Amino acid sequence: MKLAGTASLPAPPAEVWSLLTDPSRLSRLLPGCERLEPDGPERYKATVKFGIAAISGKYAGTLEFAHKKPPNSLILKIDGKGLPGFVKGEGRLELRAKAGDTEIAYNGEAQVGGLIASVGQRMLDAAARKIVHQFFEAAKAELASGKGAASEPSSLGQSHARGK
Amino acid sequence: MTTRFIGKPLKRKEDPRLIQGLSHYVDDLNLAGMHYAAFLRSPYAHANIRSVDLSKARRASGVVLALSGTDIDGAIQPVPCAAQIPDMKSGARPVLARDRVRFVGESVAVLVASDRYAARDALDLIEVDYEPLTPIVNPEKAIAKGAAPLHAGQKDNVAFKWELEGGDLKAAFKAADKVIKQRIVNQRVIPVPIETRGVLADYQPGEGQLTVWSSTQIPHLLRTQIASMLNFPETLVHVVAPEVGGGFGTKLNVYPEEAIVAYLAIQLGKPVKWSESRRENFQATIHGRDQIDDLEVAIKRDGTILGLRCRVIADLGAYYQLLTPLIPTLTGLMMTGCYKIPAARMEITGVFTNKMATDAYRGAGRPEATYLIERVMDLVAAELKKGPVEVRRKNFPQPKDFPYATPTGLIYDSGDYQKALDMALKVADYKKLRQEQAKLRKEERYMGIGISTYVEICGMGPSSAMPAGGWESATVRVEPTGRVSVMTGSSPHGQGQETTFAQMGADVLGIDPSQVQVVHGDTSVVPYGIGTFGSRATAVGGTAVYKSLQKVKEKLARIAAHIVGSDPERMVFANRKIFAKQSPKKSVAFGQAVSAAYVAKTLPAEMEPGLEATTFFEPTNFTYPFGTHICVVEIDAETGDVKLVRYVAVDDCGNVINPLLVEGQVQGGIVQSVGQALFEEAVYDEQGQLITGELMDYALPRASDMCWIEAARTVTPTPVNPLGVKGVGEAGTIAATPALAGAVADALAPFGVHHVDMPFKREKIWQVMSKNRRRVQ
Repeated sequence: MKLAGTASLPAPPAEVWSLLTDPSRLSRLLPGCERLEPDGPERYKATVKFGIAAISGKYAGTLEFAHKKPPNSLILKIDGKGLPGFVKGEGRLELRAKAGDTEIAYNGEAQVGGLIASVGQRMLDAAARKIVHQFFEAAKAELASGKGAASEPSSLGQSHARGK
Repeated sequence: MTTRFIGKPLKRKEDPRLIQGLSHYVDDLNLAGMHYAAFLRSPYAHANIRSVDLSKARRASGVVLALSGTDIDGAIQPVPCAAQIPDMKSGARPVLARDRVRFVGESVAVLVASDRYAARDALDLIEVDYEPLTPIVNPEKAIAKGAAPLHAGQKDNVAFKWELEGGDLKAAFKAADKVIKQRIVNQRVIPVPIETRGVLADYQPGEGQLTVWSSTQIPHLLRTQIASMLNFPETLVHVVAPEVGGGFGTKLNVYPEEAIVAYLAIQLGKPVKWSESRRENFQATIHGRDQIDDLEVAIKRDGTILGLRCRVIADLGAYYQLLTPLIPTLTGLMMTGCYKIPAARMEITGVFTNKMATDAYRGAGRPEATYLIERVMDLVAAELKKGPVEVRRKNFPQPKDFPYATPTGLIYDSGDYQKALDMALKVADYKKLRQEQAKLRKEERYMGIGISTYVEICGMGPSSAMPAGGWESATVRVEPTGRVSVMTGSSPHGQGQETTFAQMGADVLGIDPSQVQVVHGDTSVVPYGIGTFGSRATAVGGTAVYKSLQKVKEKLARIAAHIVGSDPERMVFANRKIFAKQSPKKSVAFGQAVSAAYVAKTLPAEMEPGLEATTFFEPTNFTYPFGTHICVVEIDAETGDVKLVRYVAVDDCGNVINPLLVEGQVQGGIVQSVGQALFEEAVYDEQGQLITGELMDYALPRASDMCWIEAARTVTPTPVNPLGVKGVGEAGTIAATPALAGAVADALAPFGVHHVDMPFKREKIWQVMSKNRRRVQ
């Protein structure tokens, strides 16, 4: 499964960078994230609850940062498995200043296996898009609360997911 | 013999119980103290198993046993493969994976619990440590240089190479005016019987008796295999195939679950049941087809086909099931179809990939053959700008040519291909269809007419050409009350033998079909038999029944003649009486003669009491049914939707016992072909995940996708058996896909397109039309 798109966050890249790379704050952005603990340099143990329709369950695994170039780009790697199957993927995030905001371009690919692949296939893309949407919405809220004030209106850029 | 019932459209004796839900499938059977098995299946297409931790599952409530592949190592032999091809590599499937999994759905562990919910829940407590490996999904990449072999100790993923050549191919291509080349793909499909598989096993330790109920097409072969796999005395194994809700070849097999459930029952001393879920059925019951064919055809300008060469890549999946390697070789044998093609060659490369095994699916290798050769005929017609009918007729053998020897080494028994073609053209009103097509094209409407003239190889078959016996058994016993039991080794799963064999019994013995009970599927009651597959039930199983009926009839004639004082040769059986032909007053009631055989006071001298006869019928050849199917489609240029407009099926399966059942078989087969042609495709993604893993994602045809099937028949009896019957169970799937493909190609002809690979999904057709529209206009 491929996932690519852009999103806009109402803060300069440095602030967005610190949000995305701070595990205590990142855990609040990840939908269903129940636990995110350090597990070595740039590596975290994660427990995420995630479901597509009736196929829900907990995934345990790792989240890893690589090729960090603050505040411009980083690669995020995930590797998790749970009862509904397994997910393994990696995505590149690029941050760019744009009129005081940050535009994030993301581009990733994930392997999904097990029950979730055989049964949830036709819903996977939509579910992945929804997770991305929720993630950036949560980021906006987090940035807003960090400022202690409502931020300027922002919008999610065009995003698209493609099954393969 | 007067035929009051043979040839008549009697309603099926089976149907009232099936329609009312009164029948018993494996899952309907319940035994006291029964436990339930559940299998943990691999989510990875290819991975090493580092460890399997069953400790939590074993402690779970209700769980009585949990086993991994290591736990049963050596106790159960791998899944048997009966097909042998020279130099084929080992691809034996372990009943539980031990150190490596090779397809999504392969079983890694099994557990038994007191109810099926506890069993299912406990699966979640099993911890397997997998080390994922790169899956090999594409068969061409699997045999490319450098591809890692799936099976340890092998140098590549080539399971076998098989070649067949007949005639002078070099000369054919040298003499050719033209050579046509084309690649065609016969995609992987999932058979989807309504009843999934199921196994119930019961072991009585005192008697040492093991009883296995399984949804199978081959109860006797299964009994032998279970005994072998478990190293258990065959005499103490009793296999029952109760009501079986469809098989299409998927149950012509031996699966790990059949041996494991039996093993579990023995270990526990408790009855154990396993019922396959639909998802398991998709992942771990055999798939069908999956061939890539590269064709070269040598032709003359007048449409004569001189030679045909075909290189086939057959995607076998990860392991062999019972007949896996054999299936593509049947494509080779039938590659020249119903045409006089003097030279032909097929080279098959069987390939291992990280998928479920392919094996026999309704037609088994022959739908691939008709698809191949019928696409060839259409391509030749398009190349030479001739009609598809003309090119076919040009290459037909004539009726006087039968028995006809093919360059692939077969002897076609009997045929009149022109006759079936003529009838189909007449029923379809072909000329008018072409006129209508021309008219619609002017209106930019795209109607297509597809023709498939086919021959199939059925009535399997002589034992010399079969992996494990091509004969069939039947015992006929007239019981003391005059009722007749027919025990057949041909174990039905929807074919209706209970009706057709009763019709035969009634006509031979001059009684009513209601007096005849057909018994099948129980190895303790029925003499050793082979099973129902390869359109053999009537041609081979029916002939065994017929011969046993004749033996019993002969004895009854002697008894009756002895009673009335006449000549046994002259006795006639009708209306539940046996009487002398010239003097009908010399008559005894059927029941009286039967009674005499058991009371045994008035029997002719030297005659043994009782009324029972058994036959093991060995046919001398296969049978070769044939026919012509014509399909009319209209393609919506806006959406690419292929709509079936008309379907004409003229089939010749020789003599017919019950035309209603023949038509039912033809209809069912055609609908399955419509499925493959328009919708169905087993899709594995690059990681080897089966993403068409259930009925929401795998499109089967529905009633609304069909048009009425206009069925007709010609009758060309076979000399191979005394009934003159050929078989019809697979005709629909063998004949129909090329008719549909031909119709779609014909509709797309204005776009300059002559071949599109199945399935003809809207998206694909729309793309073809959009891409080519500009080019032509």
